[in-house]
Amino acid sequence: METLTALGRGFASAVTLPHLAWALAGTTLGTAVGVLPGIGPALTVAVLLPITFSLDPTSAFIMFGGIYYGAMYGGSTTSILINSPGETASIVTAIDGHMMARKGRGAAALTTAAIGSFVAGTLATIALTFFAPPLAAVALRFGPAEYFGLTMLAFTTVAALLGNSVVRGLLSLFLGLSLGLVGIDQLTGDARFSFGIPQLMDGIDVMILVIGLFAVGETLFQAWRHGRDEEHIITIHDFTGMSREDWSRSWRPWLRGTAIGFPLGVLPCGGSVIPTFVSYMLEKRLSKHPEEFGHGAIEGVAGPEAANNAAAAGVLVPLLTLGLPSSATAAVMLTAFQQYGLQPGPLLFSTRPDLVWTLIASLYIGNVMLLVLNLPLASVWARVMLVPRNLLFGGILVLASVGAYSLNRSVLDLVLLYAVGAVGCTMRVFDIPLVPAVLGLILGPLSEQQFRRAVAISGGDLSVFVTRPICATLLVLACAVLAGPYLLRRWLPEAAAT
Amino acid sequence: MPRPAAALAALLLFAIAPAPAAAEPVYQHLRLIAPAAPGGGWDQTARVMQQALQSAGIVHTSSVENIPGAAGTIGLARFVTAERGTGDVAMMSGLIMLGAIVTHRSALTLHDVTPVARLLGEYEVIVVPAASPFRTLADLIRAFKERPESISWGGGSAGGTEQILAGLIADAVGVNPRLVNYIAFSGGGELRPSVLGGQVSVGLDGLAGFQPYIDAGTVRALAISSATRLPYLDAPTLREQGIDVDLENWRCVLAPPGVSTADLQRLEGAVKTMVESAPWREALERYHWNDRYLGADAFSTFLDSEEARVIAILKKLGTGGDNAPTGPYPVLVLAGLAIFGLVAARGLLRGRSRAAAASGAPTSETIVAWKAIALIAIGITVDVLLVERGGFVIASTGLFWATARAFDPHHPTRDAIFAVAVSVGAYLLFARVLQLPLPAGVLAGWM
Repeated sequence: METLTALGRGFASAVTLPHLAWALAGTTLGTAVGVLPGIGPALTVAVLLPITFSLDPTSAFIMFGGIYYGAMYGGSTTSILINSPGETASIVTAIDGHMMARKGRGAAALTTAAIGSFVAGTLATIALTFFAPPLAAVALRFGPAEYFGLTMLAFTTVAALLGNSVVRGLLSLFLGLSLGLVGIDQLTGDARFSFGIPQLMDGIDVMILVIGLFAVGETLFQAWRHGRDEEHIITIHDFTGMSREDWSRSWRPWLRGTAIGFPLGVLPCGGSVIPTFVSYMLEKRLSKHPEEFGHGAIEGVAGPEAANNAAAAGVLVPLLTLGLPSSATAAVMLTAFQQYGLQPGPLLFSTRPDLVWTLIASLYIGNVMLLVLNLPLASVWARVMLVPRNLLFGGILVLASVGAYSLNRSVLDLVLLYAVGAVGCTMRVFDIPLVPAVLGLILGPLSEQQFRRAVAISGGDLSVFVTRPICATLLVLACAVLAGPYLLRRWLPEAAAT
Repeated sequence: MPRPAAALAALLLFAIAPAPAAAEPVYQHLRLIAPAAPGGGWDQTARVMQQALQSAGIVHTSSVENIPGAAGTIGLARFVTAERGTGDVAMMSGLIMLGAIVTHRSALTLHDVTPVARLLGEYEVIVVPAASPFRTLADLIRAFKERPESISWGGGSAGGTEQILAGLIADAVGVNPRLVNYIAFSGGGELRPSVLGGQVSVGLDGLAGFQPYIDAGTVRALAISSATRLPYLDAPTLREQGIDVDLENWRCVLAPPGVSTADLQRLEGAVKTMVESAPWREALERYHWNDRYLGADAFSTFLDSEEARVIAILKKLGTGGDNAPTGPYPVLVLAGLAIFGLVAARGLLRGRSRAAAASGAPTSETIVAWKAIALIAIGITVDVLLVERGGFVIASTGLFWATARAFDPHHPTRDAIFAVAVSVGAYLLFARVLQLPLPAGVLAGWM
């Protein structure tokens, strides 16, 4: 009850005409900048931060709420339309989202992403409102061993992403893992496989791999196929959004995506990427027509898009209750809060309840604004597919090069981008799936680091992975996910047959 | 997206418009480089400087550029090579960079740049979770002396301030610093949950990072790395407890090498005016930063003595040694890559030889495809070669045009117009509106 009154007060200070205007401005800016490939949510928030310097705290916080959710949403648009994820959290969206767009169903994909984001964002914000402190306490029980268990569970999702051949899928995964070896070993400070090139000491940026494999690789591949197949003309079937069938296939993935995304967002582990993979795998496993996945299944867009937005709200739980920034974006938000003399931490809710509840209220408002803004835009964006192909691909390459260059302002990154692009094109030619490589690059260094950290803390004792209950549960779960379908088929052949 | 872009431009112009200043600003535009990702200490310092410089009217406008990586050494390399002699740019640096230069064996050191001023310092605090059996530092040190490896010291990146402090403490109590079981985290954000949840025995971090938790009683401060007690923290110093160590994590401002004396004096003057301004004072208060301003000359002297101290302790810690890539993990990964690569290649070659036997000579379609790929390759080469020499706009125009021609050779003029428009548009959006600099190149005077 107390929470509701406080939230009510938050809404009272947030819902005024100028404040709503700031919320709209925030979501618009967040979405617009978040759309650009290579500019992820962290950079979007950092770049837009100076705008809020000149505002009073309440307006500024309302604008933050909008910018944050807007930036998280923006990445999915380019994923769906031009197969170039704007940030890591929307890589999975590209798989089926882009296939939908190619089939002229871009508007439906964008709509399910927008509504899924809204549903997930709202439900997750409600969870944040009522359950933040106990959830944060659970998150603290996760140490390196538990995070290692979690990455192992995340690795199993690769099973849903292998494509047509297990060998080629695993080749892609190991390619990603190998790229993940490059750079400074965080635990010792030694440089590995950096060949004396200073820029490689920090490893290969995931964004370079994503933009290179997807945007550049796709462009080169289309050029390669150009003239082979008869011109593939895209006709847009619907400008109106989702059909009745789309709705009935979307609502469960939205809810499941939320249920996966929010708790995983609370745990500081890889931000909002892992939940999207987990959601995709789950939807594929539960679906009545798993064969559609990879060819434009709407569940493959609805689930992950809900998951990444729910995770975005989950990230705010440790940030607000404990002052722990568990992602780069959250770290930037923390800096922003401090500009207003607000120190997120254990005492925040008691010292500045007015600002906290205004911020939470503005998250609800930001979510509504996002829906209001993006539903009508879905059909407008879908028309991007009608731009002449040569101009579209020219624009994609230019945007990809800007995105890669502005990561570190280094020409080496451009060279890497195009090299990765050539690899991406080759992989497409030989039907090697792209997503496992990205998964490997993200999860490889993370799991190695957590594993070695856990072992170092225990003084070299490997039994920590089975004696710590949460870790052991996660590892057993990972084995079950991998072996489960096989065992089920063996033990219950009649069940599998039906 | 014409409408959002226009709104964006309007809003940014509105927001960036500076407050009216009494005197003429020292700089029209000053670029600040944070050699770290957004959210870290250097980024925070740069953004506070940006705000203070602008609102005190010392600069007309100011921008922050992030060049993250390898604890600042990548930013340093970039700063030395790309900004040589530039008068209106400054980079954040500090103790952590000194450590990183040693640990990562960087070819460039702080002798390759021009010191401008030391700005501020932060003390390091040594904390344990509230439930920890260690009530005092003496308890901790006793256990540490008995079994050094049983105590895990959690702190920031390898070779950084926290590892230096752990090494200094070990050295002072007579334990070989190599035996310190130091667990590196990528920063305070990643470290704090591990300390709060009791995953590591001890946490080391800047005081600001842990102060809220000390106040709330969720962690206990065993010692502070200052020389004398602090008024706002109820914890004894290391010296009081018989450990002859004090350490302050200082941050500073650097200018590129080869700047003129006039440019250096201008920057030093601007920084001096800033540290005396009200917005800067308020920021120091807010973040619990200690004012540690030193002008260029005094700072250079300080830098030399600090460098000697850091090198000495990191040698004892044995970081940045000549260790080859270790551990079974890289071997496993590379072996996996080789195995699956070979198996996949064998499968593909079989399919290929069958296909080749069926088809024979290259078809006209293959030639068309190679032509398209070649055109794009030319565009990409032009882009890579020209982006910094000729400028972004020229390079991107070439890239766009070549790519567009690869797909459809029938509209060269239309494609050229779009190429120029998209490149100029992207340049203006990134460099002017979003303040993410792109090389202007030979068109620098025009853009």
